[in-house]
Amino acid sequence: MVKYIIKRLLLLIPIILGVSAIIFTLKTLTPGDPARQILGNDATEEQIQAKRDELGLNDPAIVQYFRYIGGIVHGDFGKSYRTGEPVISEILPRLGTSAIITLGAVAIGAFVGVLLGILSALKKYTWVDSLVLVISMFFQSVPEFVVALVLIMIFAVNLHVLPATGIDSIKGYILPMATIGLASVANYTRITRSSMLEVLSEDYIRTARAKGQTEGNITFHHALRNAMIPVAQSIGTNIGNSIGGGMVIETVFGIPGVGKYIVDSITQRNYPSVLGGALIIAIVLTVINLIVDVSFVMIDPRLKTTIISGSSKKAPKKAAA
Amino acid sequence: MSDKSLTRNATDKILVLKDLVIHYETDEEVVEAVNGIELELEKGKVLGLVGETGAGKTTTALGIMGLLPPKVGHVVQGSIWLEGEDLLRKTEKEMRSVRGKRISMIFQDPMTALNPVKTVGDQIAEVVLLHNHCSKAEAMKRAQDMLAMVGIVPERYKEYPHQFSGGMKQRIVIAIALACEPDLLIADEPTTALDVTIQAQILDMMRKLQKDKGTSMILITHDLGVVAEMCDDVAVMYAGQIVEYGPLEEVFDHPKHPYTRALYKSIPSLDKDVERLHVIPGLVPDPANLPAYCSFYERCQEKCDKCREFEPWAVEAAPGHVAKCIQYTPEWPQDVKKGGEE
Repeated sequence: MVKYIIKRLLLLIPIILGVSAIIFTLKTLTPGDPARQILGNDATEEQIQAKRDELGLNDPAIVQYFRYIGGIVHGDFGKSYRTGEPVISEILPRLGTSAIITLGAVAIGAFVGVLLGILSALKKYTWVDSLVLVISMFFQSVPEFVVALVLIMIFAVNLHVLPATGIDSIKGYILPMATIGLASVANYTRITRSSMLEVLSEDYIRTARAKGQTEGNITFHHALRNAMIPVAQSIGTNIGNSIGGGMVIETVFGIPGVGKYIVDSITQRNYPSVLGGALIIAIVLTVINLIVDVSFVMIDPRLKTTIISGSSKKAPKKAAA
Repeated sequence: MSDKSLTRNATDKILVLKDLVIHYETDEEVVEAVNGIELELEKGKVLGLVGETGAGKTTTALGIMGLLPPKVGHVVQGSIWLEGEDLLRKTEKEMRSVRGKRISMIFQDPMTALNPVKTVGDQIAEVVLLHNHCSKAEAMKRAQDMLAMVGIVPERYKEYPHQFSGGMKQRIVIAIALACEPDLLIADEPTTALDVTIQAQILDMMRKLQKDKGTSMILITHDLGVVAEMCDDVAVMYAGQIVEYGPLEEVFDHPKHPYTRALYKSIPSLDKDVERLHVIPGLVPDPANLPAYCSFYERCQEKCDKCREFEPWAVEAAPGHVAKCIQYTPEWPQDVKKGGEE
């Protein structure tokens, strides 16, 4: 098991190299001069050249890349062009905010999705089943920022129960979490429903009935845990999607998280911040995927053998920041 | 026969099936899986239910358990009496206290019959907890005793099904079935999924436990060898009907129904060297489209024109030995040779 975890952590190296290489390439190809962005339109050509030398922007891209990678090895993600502060110290406090929102969103999405999935599996081919399908498809197909605006309209503007922006109070977290979470409900509902239907027709469910077990216990003790295996597997991927959704939603709700930080940095051509943000999200996502995979063992004891031997496990998906 | 007289007669009978008819109804068709079964099982006896795939053996068992697939499977008519109580009149809640406690069932495939994410100890203890007022620790103790009884080291109660071999899984399934000492055990092809050496072990164990506990048992199988080893009585099923029923020796030595005779002919013999094994020609009739006359007619080697005219009824061809064939009725034409006379 330890060997497996170390092996998975080593995968971080190619992931970091890959993500940074992609963003570095994009940076070199994007028009716009960070030095001019920092100094403003009044700066002279000499001042800009001096700034470019200071930032190392005149070196070939490949040199800049390896200089950057060298820094990461020492835990140095560069300094923000805008504030001059180390990127890592700007991101870490925001990471907590984003983590709370993402995890809250995943929790809401998974809880509502699994519940609806169970409901539609137990009531398959009835109007309940169809209604659940319509509701979950609705939240999947409507863009998140539209859902965000509608929720703001209802709960902030009309009912005045929740704040429209900011996270000054704990209430501020509810709408962003719900917005991101509702988008993933359809995913969990679909997986839970099909997995539940499959499990309920298994022989061991008949064995449980033959024992005289009640339908309620059969659903929640025998079927649900088996049905949760594919659901849990999708949580890892879903966290990635939720982080992506968080970028937009943090901006809509004006929440100082990593997502908003990256979006702001992109418009400011603040490359160290964009790179640092993307890399940190990639690392976090890899670690989360690892935790999710390891926690399967707790749900499905059969995996213990495969994980210890470390066979046929896919590498985690990279953060598409 | 009225219900009252049946109850009085049923004191030494653990299970009585009266004219049981079970259909599977879907939008496209009605499958007549079980057609008017009459069956009696005495306490402490083992009844072998033999037949080809699709003869309705498992459906009969699921019907007794009240575990027919919901919405699709229906008991259309008849009654199922367990020690004088009509199981079909019981509510779902009452049936739950019958299942696992008074009637237990062993299923065909041990590989899939156990929940993969629960320890075997938990799965045995579950049935104990359901039917006895005892603590979790007591139930676990009982689970370990049961494991020991079926020949598995009790310390392995914490392990999961995938850590056991197929034969051991079937032992665990048997342990679950016997944990509450049921009056009736229904074993649905308990050894079909196992290899031959393990089959013998499991059968030996089942016979020993059955004798020790005095449990009545219905053994469903298509293996006549298993029947000869285990059973007191035999019922041969064909197309949802019991075509022959009687004590083991009677049925084996003097089979009365042409189908049973054909079955015996198709058993390969160790002594005789034959070019081709004997088979029964034709196929089992489509249960969604059964004929109005004898359902074995098309494949029967002993038929006559009279067989096409009506459905045969059960006749006592010898004392305690019933066959559903008109050979044993006055309807049979005098000039046609009967199958049994050679």
